[in-house]
Amino acid sequence: MTTDTHHCDILIIGAGAYGLSCAWNIARRDTGARIMVVDAGEFAEGATGRNGSGFRMQWGLELNIRLCKESIEFFENIEDHLDYPGGIEMRQCGYLLLASNEKELQRLKDAQDLQHRFDVPSEAMTPEDCLRMVPSLNPDGIVGGAFCGKDGVANPFRYLDALQKAATRLGVEIRYSTRIDRLVPQGAGYRAEGTFGQITTDKVLICTDWAASELLDEHDAGLPITGLPKEALVSQPCAPCVDPMVVSMKHHIAIAQVARGSIVFTVTRHREPGGDPSSQPDFLKFAGRQLQDLVPGLSHLKVFRTWGGASSVTPDMQGIYGETQLPGVYVAVSSYRGFMTGPAAGRIMAEMVVNGKSNDPIAAELNPYRFTQGKLVYEPLLNQD
Amino acid sequence: MMGGHVVIVGAGPAGMSAAISVAEAGCRVTVLDEAARPGGQIFRQAAPELKAPSYATEAEQRRKAALLADFASLGKAITYVAQAQVISAFAGPEIQYVADDATHTLNPDAVILATGVREKLFPFEGWTLPGVLGAGGAQSILKAQNVLPGKRIVIAGAGPLPMVVAAQMTRAGADVLALAQLHHVLSMGSNPLALLAGRASVLEGLGYLSTVLRARIPQLTGYVPIRAEGDTQLKSVVLAKLDAQGQVIGGSQRRVETDVLALNYGFVANAELATMMGVDLRFDEFSGWHPVIDDEGRTSDPSVFACGDTAGLRGSYVAQAEGHIVGAAAAEQVLGQAAKTGQNSLVQARKARAQQLKFQSTLRHTLKLPDGVWGISTPDTIICRCEGVRKAEILGALEHGHRSVNAIKRNTRCGMGWCNGRSCLHSVSALASQATGEPPQTPMTPRPVARPVTLGELANAPGYEVPDDH
Repeated sequence: MTTDTHHCDILIIGAGAYGLSCAWNIARRDTGARIMVVDAGEFAEGATGRNGSGFRMQWGLELNIRLCKESIEFFENIEDHLDYPGGIEMRQCGYLLLASNEKELQRLKDAQDLQHRFDVPSEAMTPEDCLRMVPSLNPDGIVGGAFCGKDGVANPFRYLDALQKAATRLGVEIRYSTRIDRLVPQGAGYRAEGTFGQITTDKVLICTDWAASELLDEHDAGLPITGLPKEALVSQPCAPCVDPMVVSMKHHIAIAQVARGSIVFTVTRHREPGGDPSSQPDFLKFAGRQLQDLVPGLSHLKVFRTWGGASSVTPDMQGIYGETQLPGVYVAVSSYRGFMTGPAAGRIMAEMVVNGKSNDPIAAELNPYRFTQGKLVYEPLLNQD
Repeated sequence: MMGGHVVIVGAGPAGMSAAISVAEAGCRVTVLDEAARPGGQIFRQAAPELKAPSYATEAEQRRKAALLADFASLGKAITYVAQAQVISAFAGPEIQYVADDATHTLNPDAVILATGVREKLFPFEGWTLPGVLGAGGAQSILKAQNVLPGKRIVIAGAGPLPMVVAAQMTRAGADVLALAQLHHVLSMGSNPLALLAGRASVLEGLGYLSTVLRARIPQLTGYVPIRAEGDTQLKSVVLAKLDAQGQVIGGSQRRVETDVLALNYGFVANAELATMMGVDLRFDEFSGWHPVIDDEGRTSDPSVFACGDTAGLRGSYVAQAEGHIVGAAAAEQVLGQAAKTGQNSLVQARKARAQQLKFQSTLRHTLKLPDGVWGISTPDTIICRCEGVRKAEILGALEHGHRSVNAIKRNTRCGMGWCNGRSCLHSVSALASQATGEPPQTPMTPRPVARPVTLGELANAPGYEVPDDH
């Protein structure tokens, strides 16, 4: 078998929102390092290309608010940052978080106290406010909500395309259909092997999200990461009818009307983590019923397409940023929010990989050792009851 | 279940013939079809109250009447669901479809895919103007509604269909101003043995040819449309002659003022359901991805069968014979035994299929499109009409290393609109193959729904309960 041999200084595995953002952030530091990004799939084939397009700074934990706020501010000026004149179809239409009981409502209110300390312009909403904003909602079961006009939607495909082009201009080499099957220590660095051949490198940054632990397990350096299957469907383009992104905590459904008018519905079901991430045979019927209950006013819309994907999940449902037990091998795992935290994650990981450490306190909080040390960090706005 | 249950998708010659076989063997059979009445594309029926005349040859009319009568005679044994949109298919097998505003799920013992083909054309400047349409599409409107797409018609294409459509449009009273064929009609008949094998098709073809000759329709051999002109509606078409490489020969351009430009450059298989079910596929340079089948229509999944053009572009005679063979094989598998009767007709069907295949193999080269046709479009030409994606964007994605149809789709949105890529992805695939010098490695990943349906139709799923533990 003929195989290729390549060499680089920094090998990034995974060309999604994290991998490409890390590549661009490292490359722009102008260290002269040869950076290579490899991806087992094709352009946007992984979790980023399958996500529901939303970003929000409405969170209940300081680190999540900061990660998302920094990232959204990056999105706001992405045309300049990445020299991408067409932009990424960003629409800061706000996120409307719906509460179906007093407990959920209280959590939203508590989170707002923290959000306001970071100048997040979030506000409490009455049921009437929610219905005024999205008339197609079913009024039953809505006790209130929260809204922040800085949140919104953008096109993950355009974001990846912008990053890929910007990173390529800075000399980053990106190779698709290149799966790394194992990492083998070699000298002071590593040899990354796959059926394509091998790549020798000084440092490795694993950005395969829910699959990140696969390459670490055989070195007994594994991390507690699993994939949570998610499913989505997209409708025909239609006149504006869902202005803000809507999240129903009860239905586990997010609804976004994207710039070209299509409505994207992202549905999370209680399914075994690590299972088959493709959409399930009953998904169309399931989604039909759930959406009829949540937004009966949209039942006339034609569905164009459905798809499945997987989000990374960790024991505390927070990301993992840092160097693993294998010296020189780093991981950046998004836990759920790769698209909306990508710019900040790339900045922090670049600091770590280039300088050896990041002074950002988020890096310390999200370190890979917290699970064995029992220092978990919980986000109150992710359902954990 | 006693007798077993076979679901057939499609009610053209292959699907109807398969349904007859399955029903005669004693299985329960459900036929899901998009149209209002059985027949498929070639045997499409108008609503009886229209009393629409037929413009087909007498031989074709006889074949149609006989098959439809056989299908109808088994009325009680065959559950025929008209206007059924099959939205998704899974291994198992499971078929989901929407009919009467509701979503239904079937879990039969076997599925036979007889989903046929769709028309293929290549993009050129102005091809998305109203007035430019598929020749087969124009023919369907004539068959189903007895309506001509316009008075003055230019027909262009490759293979046998353009001539058939020219003859039928003429018989229906249209003024066919030009018949531009990539290869001359007589180039189909170079092999006398093949002609003999396909004499029934040849005779039908000669019937249409004589209409074209009698009507003195100008035949432009080697010509293709390079531009359709008009502001909001087709006004004229520019035709030009191609050299052997498919380059436009300078000075050969001629403009024809017309209401309609009807095009057919062959067909692409409707393989979405087969792909969703995960069966092995093969790529054919003329007709795209097909499920791989054995002699009796078995795919790599023992409960999934395929027959007719969707399993390989070979025309309606083969489809009808193969439907018979595959229906019997599916019934045999479901029942665990061969049918006790009908073995003679199976032998005949095998013989008919073999004969037709000899003939069809000589037709194949007439569908060959020279590489140059993909260069007739300009960077500004729309490739994906649903999402408004232009050729320059496709070429840009290729330049940035996105080589597969799936990667190009995600990078440009080509194929993400109403038609789910059915009208553009073969063009994208051809452009990609030209850029890479390789045939495509994987088909587009088809995602349910195979046809757009409403959220309300999905919610209206009789018998479906939302699981408690979601």
